Amino acid sequence: MITLSNQQQWLFKQLLLLVVIATFCCTLTQRVTAQDDLLAQEERALQQAVNQAAKSVVQIEVLGGLETDNDGPVSGLAVSDDGFILSSAVNFPPSFTSILVSTPSGKRAAATLVAHDYNRNLVLLKVNTTEQYTTASPVPNAEVIVGQWSIALGKIYSREVVNQSLGIVSATNRIWGKAIQTDAKISPANYGGPLIDIQGRVYGILTPLSPRGQSPTDGTDWYDSGIGFAVPLVDILPHLEKLKAGKDLHSGLLGVSLKSGDIYDLPAEIVAVQPKSPAQTGGLKKGDTIIKINDMVISRQAQLRHALGGQYAGNTITISVKRDDQIVTAKATLVEKLEPYEHPFLGVLPDRHFTEQGAQIRHIYVDSPAQQIKLQQGDIITHINTEAIVDHNALRLVVSNFEPQDQLTLTYLRNNEPTTVSLELGRAPQQVPTISAHANPAKAAPAGTLATGLIDLKLPEEKNECVAIIPTNYRHDVPHALIVWLQAPGDPDNEELQTQWIAFAEQYHAIVLAPQSADPARWNPSEVDFIRKTIDNVLSTYSVDRNRIVVHGQQAGGSMSYLVGFAHRDLIRGVAPLDAALPARMAIKANDPGERLAFYAFIVKESKLAKASAAGVKRLTMAKYPVTTVQLNDKAGLSDNNRLQFLQWVDSLDRI
Amino acid sequence: MPLSLTKHRFLLKPLFLATLLLCGLVSPTQADDLALASNTVQSKMVKIYGAGGLKGLEAYQSGFLISGNGHILTVWSYVLDTDYITIVLDDGRKFEGKIVGADPRLEMAVLKIDSQELDHFSLSKSVTLKPGARILTISNLFGVATGDEPCSVLHGIIAATTSLNARRGAFKSPYQGPIYVLDAISNNPGAAGGALTDSQGNLAGLLGKELRNAQNGTWLNYALPIAQLTTAVEDIIAGRTRPRSFDETVKRPDNPHTLKSLGIRMVPDVLAKTPPFVDSITRKSVAEQKGFRPDDLILYLNNRRIDSLNTLVNEIALIDKIDEITVIIQRDNNLINITLPGQ
Repeated sequence: MITLSNQQQWLFKQLLLLVVIATFCCTLTQRVTAQDDLLAQEERALQQAVNQAAKSVVQIEVLGGLETDNDGPVSGLAVSDDGFILSSAVNFPPSFTSILVSTPSGKRAAATLVAHDYNRNLVLLKVNTTEQYTTASPVPNAEVIVGQWSIALGKIYSREVVNQSLGIVSATNRIWGKAIQTDAKISPANYGGPLIDIQGRVYGILTPLSPRGQSPTDGTDWYDSGIGFAVPLVDILPHLEKLKAGKDLHSGLLGVSLKSGDIYDLPAEIVAVQPKSPAQTGGLKKGDTIIKINDMVISRQAQLRHALGGQYAGNTITISVKRDDQIVTAKATLVEKLEPYEHPFLGVLPDRHFTEQGAQIRHIYVDSPAQQIKLQQGDIITHINTEAIVDHNALRLVVSNFEPQDQLTLTYLRNNEPTTVSLELGRAPQQVPTISAHANPAKAAPAGTLATGLIDLKLPEEKNECVAIIPTNYRHDVPHALIVWLQAPGDPDNEELQTQWIAFAEQYHAIVLAPQSADPARWNPSEVDFIRKTIDNVLSTYSVDRNRIVVHGQQAGGSMSYLVGFAHRDLIRGVAPLDAALPARMAIKANDPGERLAFYAFIVKESKLAKASAAGVKRLTMAKYPVTTVQLNDKAGLSDNNRLQFLQWVDSLDRI
Repeated sequence: MPLSLTKHRFLLKPLFLATLLLCGLVSPTQADDLALASNTVQSKMVKIYGAGGLKGLEAYQSGFLISGNGHILTVWSYVLDTDYITIVLDDGRKFEGKIVGADPRLEMAVLKIDSQELDHFSLSKSVTLKPGARILTISNLFGVATGDEPCSVLHGIIAATTSLNARRGAFKSPYQGPIYVLDAISNNPGAAGGALTDSQGNLAGLLGKELRNAQNGTWLNYALPIAQLTTAVEDIIAGRTRPRSFDETVKRPDNPHTLKSLGIRMVPDVLAKTPPFVDSITRKSVAEQKGFRPDDLILYLNNRRIDSLNTLVNEIALIDKIDEITVIIQRDNNLINITLPGQ
């Protein structure tokens, strides 16, 4: 038997250790190769997924059409073997003439647009072919996990081969519960195509979406940004038969107005229930607070939007509300369109400086319900039916729960004597009342240190320029109207702007804010957000009456004024386009009892935009918005008289 | 015989350490694989500084070494339109770059610096990639790297292979051949001239200039496959596109063409290197018949690069009147071939 000396034993152990380490090292080297294999394998798996799903991806050519930024091919996904194709609505401009879709054999066949999903910005096409398409299977919602590989496919470069973009699933339940978010590059190169997983299954259809709007092009400014959306295929398939039958899908509307303010903070308290709406039919009442939709608990307004965002018209939902410490449960079948709401009209302008209980009258409209019941300037309205009125804002809100021709009783104080009368509400007049400027409050103005005249309001983080005209008689105790002026493209002349406006601004206590487009040649729709920032900037410094914030713009600036008005309903109360068209692809949001919006359209007879301007006015009138139209004879711009009447309209926007 | 312990202990320890070190070096993660590739390419990249700096035109672009003695491949652009091109190597060393030649049809240029034994990509070892293949792009986009700072590496895949002329009117670029469309936001200001490699760092393409898809308004991220450039680069390096008049020993014909006899009047020669623009065309001349127009820019004469008015005059003096001349001109964004017959 061999016995080893201590030294030998030690050496043996060391050698053994070395062998172990060497083996480990070899394993590692093997693992490096294995790792290379793993990378290669992953790449192969991804390509296999792409190749499998690619069979269902089609190329679509849309011919003709207005207002399109894309005249190249676009993408779609086959969802039935007989040629039904889902795609994004952004790919189909208004009044296109024909659609061609690639077939499995690589040919092209004509297709028709069968139906729209207006809620999720999709369309369904039917290809006129006998060829058989391959369909892809959807990923169940429960299997969508943030961080998984996702590949966006399009077919814009060739009819045979897909183009691909690799990313991961970034989030689920985006855009009020409608979409999966990915960091793959989503753009016109793949809108309409599928977002697939590593098994070649379809997460959803790629389409631009925006939390701010539901027009087909909303969200396209986020192309290739790291934020892209796909509408889950599993959410659409249950509605496919309806779409195939040619029935459009619409967002489901309930018909309640909530208290204005921070939607992430305020509870979903109803301030107005729209007449003849599902909410009214279901028995919801002003003052109720929504606490549950189906099984989803609602404690803030934002959650209500999540719960309702993905609902289609025709869906029946269960609503629980808190009413005077009781919980009431109701059912409502959502509708596509609410009966357009029209603001009722009492016929008064309130005194803005009246500080006691009630709403004091500053002006009575001619031929209005208020005049018929012989209300007078200085009377103080204290009750509508049995409801006590705190101030003029409360009066406006209470009245907005009624419709024109509704009957109510009104109590007012005259010489401290209360009187109660019955009346029938009317409709807001087109005519602007001839009113002199609101008298200032009696108490002395605090010495102001704020800059007045033409001031520079450029925001440090924005490249756009912005100026404002502050009346030289500015007083912080006088709530000012705010007129946001969006000029037609071209170099701004701020001196001229000041000359035109300053006298009127001082007479009627208005601030004129003039944000300018970054590119002097054009307004970019995404500049809506910049404009909002400049308004917020003024609101944080100056005293502005929230009932009288107006966007006024000329030509392209006028089209922007429509966009700003509809994008920021919580803030904007009036839109005054001058020689400008209402963008044809813009969906007009329903008139809202709480968030009032009035229009003052200047139409220039000689202008090539006259027809489009008038068409916009017609659409707004159909939607029951209050619209005042002024015809101008030439393009020279506004006369002093035009401007005076316009300021009187702005001054009357807090009418009730 | 018992081994001497002290001696072997002395030996074993370094071995042991070396083994550990090795293990550390080859630690197997995906990032390391790509990291290895991006490290090996950095020493082949250069930063190029030249003309520009006004009206949103950046005065810099990217490039990479393609020979050990200082040849650099990059894109042909206004940045090179200056007498002072500065090349900064990966280690921060600065050199003056000279234009060896350019091919406006491929929007490519070859520069040279005076140095030796440089790490470089070999064009002959370039690879061809398929859609879905992992890629790296290496460039000095936005000029973020200065001096010895490494270029920026972006990771992505090949989104598609297509040709710039596949869709008429979509891409307004003189180059209309095959491209790699990249799934990476690679083509930003300053990135043009950068390298496209596979995940192992093997050269596959040259990042192109910023290009917008005129059909859908989106910016294109793309690279020119190296295979499209190899012949032209070799011709440039071998001097086959170099004007013959640069060589003083060249034989001159007794009776050459002249601009006057062709019917072409050029702009006045007022600069050291006046761009060879056509000022006017003589009526009923050969040039008029073959379609020359005022404001055409002459780029090539018999496939040799014309860099100035002076070179044009000298080069025409070397062509015998009985021989035909092939001319490539640039008119707006188009390159046009014209053949003028011998007389």
